[in-house]
This record gives sequence, C-alpha cells and structure tokens, in this order.
Amino acid sequence: MRSRTAIRRGAIGLAALALVLFPFIQPGDLYRQTVLIQIFLLGIVAVGWNVIAGFTGYVSLGQGAFLGLGAYTVGILSRYVDVSPFFLAPVGGLVAAAVAVLLGLTIMRSREHAFVISTIAFLFLVQAIGLNWRGFTGGSNGIRLPLPGWSIERGHLPFYEVMFGLLALSLLMSWWIRRTKFGAGLLAIREDEDKAAAIGVRTSVYKILAIVASATLTGVAGGVYAYFLTFIDPRGMFDILVSVQVVLACLLGGRGTIWGPVLGAFVIIPLNEVTIDVASGQGVRLFVFGLALMLVVLFLPRGVIPSIRAVLERRRTGAVPVERRSAVTTVPVSAPEPPAAPAHPLLEVEGLTRRFGGVAAVDGCSFAVGRGTLTALIGPNGSGKTTVFNLVTGMMRADAGEIRLDGRRIDGMLPWDRAYLGLGRTFQITRLFPQLTVLENVVAPLRGFRWRGLAADAVTGPEARRAEDLLDFVGMAAFAHQPAWRLSFGQQKLVELAQALMLEPRLILLDEPAGGVNPGMIDRIAELIRELNARGLTFLIVEHNMPLVLDLCDPILVMARGHVIAEGAPQRIQGDQAVLDAYLGEAWGTAAAPQRADA
Amino acid sequence: MTHLLQTVLLGLLIGGVYALLASGLTLIFGVMRIINVAHGVFLVLAALFTFELWRRFGIDPLLAVVITTPVMFAIGWVVYRGLIARIRTAPVSMSVLLTFALAITIEGIMGMTWKNVFRSVTPGYFNESFHVGPFFVPKPLLFGFGMAVVVLLALYLLLTRTWAGRAIRSASENPEGAQLVGVDIRAVAALTFAVGIATTGGGGSVLSVLYAFFPASHYVWISRLLGIVVLGGMGSIPGAVVGALLLGVAEALTIGYVSPRWGVAVFYVVILVVLLVRPRGLMGTRLREDVAA
Repeated sequence: MRSRTAIRRGAIGLAALALVLFPFIQPGDLYRQTVLIQIFLLGIVAVGWNVIAGFTGYVSLGQGAFLGLGAYTVGILSRYVDVSPFFLAPVGGLVAAAVAVLLGLTIMRSREHAFVISTIAFLFLVQAIGLNWRGFTGGSNGIRLPLPGWSIERGHLPFYEVMFGLLALSLLMSWWIRRTKFGAGLLAIREDEDKAAAIGVRTSVYKILAIVASATLTGVAGGVYAYFLTFIDPRGMFDILVSVQVVLACLLGGRGTIWGPVLGAFVIIPLNEVTIDVASGQGVRLFVFGLALMLVVLFLPRGVIPSIRAVLERRRTGAVPVERRSAVTTVPVSAPEPPAAPAHPLLEVEGLTRRFGGVAAVDGCSFAVGRGTLTALIGPNGSGKTTVFNLVTGMMRADAGEIRLDGRRIDGMLPWDRAYLGLGRTFQITRLFPQLTVLENVVAPLRGFRWRGLAADAVTGPEARRAEDLLDFVGMAAFAHQPAWRLSFGQQKLVELAQALMLEPRLILLDEPAGGVNPGMIDRIAELIRELNARGLTFLIVEHNMPLVLDLCDPILVMARGHVIAEGAPQRIQGDQAVLDAYLGEAWGTAAAPQRADA
Repeated sequence: MTHLLQTVLLGLLIGGVYALLASGLTLIFGVMRIINVAHGVFLVLAALFTFELWRRFGIDPLLAVVITTPVMFAIGWVVYRGLIARIRTAPVSMSVLLTFALAITIEGIMGMTWKNVFRSVTPGYFNESFHVGPFFVPKPLLFGFGMAVVVLLALYLLLTRTWAGRAIRSASENPEGAQLVGVDIRAVAALTFAVGIATTGGGGSVLSVLYAFFPASHYVWISRLLGIVVLGGMGSIPGAVVGALLLGVAEALTIGYVSPRWGVAVFYVVILVVLLVRPRGLMGTRLREDVAA
C-alpha cells in the first residue's frame, strides 16, 4: 500500500515538474504552450465545478459564466487602471465570488432542479448584459486589452506559469475541502440533504460557501486568460460550449474525485483541437461534444477514475471479517446532565398538530419525556409516531403546538439548531450517506456552527479519533473504511447510532431500532441502549417489538389517531383498556368475537 | 394609451403562443420530474421541418401541423425509449445533463445539414394584419394564437377524457398508487414524453412564421419556456398558461417601452427572482423532496 502511494506521488511530482519546465525546454513551441494553457484553464474551471457538482451534488450548466465575469472585470478595469492586468486578475476572482453568493441565494430554499435552471438563466443573463450594456462592456464589439508589457522573447511563459500555479492552487483547495469538516458536510448534502440538516449541517451556508469556492479561482483564471487573449467578447467568453466542456471533463475524469477534472481536461482540450483541425464550423464541435456527453452520462456516469478504482478494489479486497465488538470498558459518551437537574422534563410536547390535506396525522399530541428515562412511544401503524419524530427534529413544520427541549422552545428552530441543542435521531429505514465510508458518515455530524470549525480536519485528528471510539463502541470499527451501502441493515442501524452519538446528544430519538434486524443484533442494540442510558443519555424509542419495549422501556407512551392515549409503566399499559381498543379495534373485549373474522 | 393597449394585446396573443410551446415541457416535468432541456431544440427542429415542407411542397405552415405532430411524437417516443428510459432512476441532474447533451448534439446536426443561417416561413399572409378600430392584429399571430388554443384544447381533452390521459395524470400525482391500480408506469412515461414532444409540432409551425430562427435559437427558446414554467409552477399546465400570458405581456412591454434588445432578459430575471422568492411558482405544488419523508 505504502509503496503504491509513494509511486503515485513520485509520478505526480515528475509530471508536474515536466509541465513547469516545458516552456523553458521548448520556448519556441508556442502552439503546444497555448494548448497546455487551455488545458490548465479548463482544469481550473472543472476543479471548481467539481466542488459544487461533484462534492455537493448541485449540477451547474453555467460555470463558464464565472470565467467570463473574471475576464470582463479585468477587461473593463484595464481601461481605467494603468497596472499590469495580472494584478487585476484577483479582482476578477472577487467579483466572481460576489456574484456566486447571489446565485447561491437561489438554492437556499430549493433543490437540484431549481439550481440547474437558475444556472442556465444566470449564464444567459450575464451574456445578455455583456451584449446589450454597450457603454460598459463594449457590446458585441468586445474589449481589447493592453498587450503584455514584457519582451516578445518571453512568449507565453508568464501566462503559462501563472495558469499552472492557479491549477495547482485549485487542486490544493479541492484536496483541502475534501478532508475538512466542511467537505464532509458537502458530501453529506450530496447524499441526503435532509439527513445532513438533521445531524447539524447548516446546509444553506454550506451550499453558498461551496458555490463561492467553485467560482473564485475560476474568476481569477478568467482574468489571466483575458489578458492572454488580449481580446474578449460576450459570445466567446460566455459560450455555453465552455460549460459543456467543463461538465464533460469532470464527468469523464470522475465526479467527486480530486484528480478527475484535471484528467478530463487533458482529454477534452486535445479532442477540441482535433475537431477544429478536422472541420471548420461550430456544428461539428457541438455534435462531437454533445454526443460525448451523452455517452458519458449513459455509459460512464461515474467517470474513469472511480471506475478503475472500483475494479482495483474488487480485485484486492475479499469479504470483510465480521468482528465481535472489542471489550470496551469506557463508553465514549460524556455524562450530559449537570448535577443539579432542573425540575422540568427534558422534552415537552404540547398540542402538537400536523395535517396532510384533510388527514391530521398528528392531532393535539401532548407528552413529556423525563430526564434519563428510556421512554417508549408505541401505537398502531399510522398513529403518527414517525410524524412526531419529524416534527420534533424539524424535518417538518408543525401546524400548531409547542415543543420544548430542556425548557426551551424549539418548534420554530431549523433542524441543525435543534441538533446543536443535543437532539439526535435515527431513522426507521436507515439514512446513512451510501457512497461515503462508515468513518466519513460518523465524522459528518456537527455539534455547533463555527466558521473556524469548518476548516477542522475531518479524516484525521481529534474528530476522527472520537468517531473511531464510537465505532468501536458499537462494534463497527472493522468496517470504518467500507462504503456504507455495503453494510447489512442491522450494521447500518449501529453506524447510524454512532453517527447520532457524535452530536453528543442529550436526547436520542430512535425510530424502530430493532425493525428488520436479526435477533442476535437486537440483543446487541438493546445492550448498547442500556449502557448509554446508564451514562445519563435519554431515549425516546418508537418500536413494534413488544417484548423488547416491555423489557427495555419505562415509561411507555401509547399513541393512536395522532395523540397520546395512555402513559405508564409497562405492567399498567399491558392491561389498559384504551390501549387494547386502539390496537385491536373498539369492539374487542366488548363484542364476543372479532367482527371481521371472515374477511 | 392606445399604444399601451396595443402592446398588451400583442403580448397576450404572443403569450397564448408561448403557452402552447411551454405545455409539453411542463407536462413532461409534471409526470416524470425530468427537465427536458432539449425542448427548445425540438421546437426549432419542428420549425425546420415546417420550413422544408413549405419550401419544397408549398404546404402552408398551419397545415403542416398534420404531418409534423406525428413526426415529433415519433421522435419523442424514440428518444424516450433510446435515451431517457435508461436513466429513469438516476438523480435529476443526470437527466438534465442527458437532455442538455441531446440538445447540443441535435443543434450540431442541424448546423451541419442546414447551416447556421436565419430562416423563416413567409406565406402570403405573413405580413398582413387585421384592423379593428385603432388596433391591429397581425394575421400570423392571430392564426398562431388560434393554433395554440386548438392544440391546448386537444391536450386538455386527451388528459381528461381518455384512459391514456387519466393514466398520465394519475402517474403524475401518485406513481406508486397508479402502479398498484394497473397503470404501466413505463409505458405512460414513454407516452407522456412523446405527447410532450408532439406539442412542438404545432409550436414549431407557429414559430417558423412568427420568428426567424436558426439552430442556436433553441437556447433563447428554452430560456423563455423555462421562465414560463418556473413562474407558473413546474409541472402545472394551467400554471404554464398563466405564466405564458404574464410573460408574453411583460416581454412586449419591455420591447415596446425599454428596448427590443432586453426583451428576452425578462425571462432570465424572472427565473432567478421566482426561484429566490417563491420556488414553487404561482400554481405549482410543493415537490415531495421539499417536504421530506
């Protein structure tokens, strides 16, 4: 393994060195230098696109607009300011970043399809402004930039090296994002945005930051490129074909990988050169790139690098040994309660109501969960238990009612703010992030939002150690580097529990922890819940496995028709007439026989 | 005042035509949750077919609908079976990339075979007008509006009065439920896509007379249509009609009182503003993904 990494690093270093030295070795080969500059440029834009589309999962068709914005910023400024346009290029980056924030606002409240549409509109709007605001942009006549100030013998060298440096910087940024808490949050959004919000990822801020990260260096590169071209016009700078090549480069190389976009750029630009050589006219190029994009989407949607990696992994790894949990003596969860606990219960729900059309799924539901208890919430199917969970965690908004956590109203809060107050949750059908590894899943949660926290290392350092401890605690440490989709359902439940624990919650809502899990695993889950409860963690558990509920929980809340109809110790609940009626029908016990026995 | 009323009148008539052009796009999104970015290119393709029928055989563009509609239906069906059906389970973004790639490919083919020159169909009545008092109505615009009404009415009857239409609507509202009562979702999807593309037959014929077009025109058209559909609410056909009328008027006013060059920018701005302020548009329902399971 180590030698493989060393070889790879050596190869990358050598290739980089060769690229840096190329214009010194072949100073006269301006054609190849130009092609390489275009490759670097496409690489920069594709790496940027990868941050928003590959990491975060929001596909943009207007990424080329940021390139044009950077170019136009430099072009327009160069008319008024008499400095080398090289110094203006960073301003291009700033303008691109500022516009990216505006574009980002359109996905604060909506999802994928809305973003794609807004990026198309955005690209065309910027192009229309470039064409029509003639006094400012020069309209379709474009802008002529000053020629470079250096002597002709130096050729493209300064452009070449600056562009190469920007590409290296982009890759560094992409690599760094990928290994921080910020990057983990972006991947979580890509895989399951609602779940990400529930584990404390402040999705709106993350998405905007991702767009800004994807646009900034692209804007700088656009500024440098404008200076290199010495002429820019709206049709060239905001050409949709640029955006197509960006998408194609990134998809072909591998969406979501570090090197994929660059690899793609090294394929796409030479292909572009060939199409220009073979035939004149935009038609052929559109046909070639359109067809290529179709083929990649249909037959190679994951890209070259991930596909090769998958083949290699299949060859290398066999089955993973199922490991019994190692003897953990310390439960890696700190005692959450202050010594003098206040008198009010940990969770209070009052008059909670949620309607779907004419159906009131939750209807005036009131209950309380005492500190340090293992409270069960049972009831027949459709009685509203999962909806209560969704309302408490903020995945849905209540139509009426109040929710208090530790005396504090939380019903108006966003999901991540509730998570920061110590509310964790698992799902009936587990919702791990399937493409992420088990470890990445567990490091994704955030206990609070701090700007500095975004930069914290996610895959090494204290966060990762804590995640490993938790995985060890639930007995899943051996699977840390497996993608989550490979796990069995029961294993996923354990990992999801570890994920919730990462939030250092005070209250965990478990939605059917034993549902669909084999009996051996049920015992283990019950054992874990008891251990955590002994450390002071409070649980509210929805579960249909009655022996488990009666054995594990006290008190038990019973829901029917959207509200709690009974509450008490297991023995009392078992004999409660209202509960029997709810489960078995009103007639049970009063009528002699089940009325629909023949049905 | 007369000028203002005249502008609004023309805007409403153009809006009616836009409603026809956008109906297929919103139908496809409503049933399949696919944003067919290639819709504009199918429209231009249908306009080109109309142009060829008129130039070679002298067929009136309004009559050409009888030929172009089934042709576009067939193209839609083939595209669905050959391309879209392969990625039915993939995320929204993949279907957008696929239809986008298709749009560019077809644009490329049109550019290679028909060259990048502006065309328009000019039957005898194309620059004649009806006059009513101080107002005038260009004949092709009125005929186009009439065509829009006819096609939209046919679509309405198809969706409400036939079994296939009810299957399409049920699949749009509740795919799982529709499947349980015996609707073959995949066949319905192919049918919906084909019907959606078939509407570009009538749309292309109107377009070919009212506007000069060339292969790359499809970007402007898809932008207009997306603006209409986003404003009306994605997936809602009544919404598309309302959005089309509003934007037709807004565009006409911009062209008449600001500058013709900024007309199409109205659509880009509307898209961005609507998605920012009210993502579900005027008449759209909240998407399931926005509610969360």
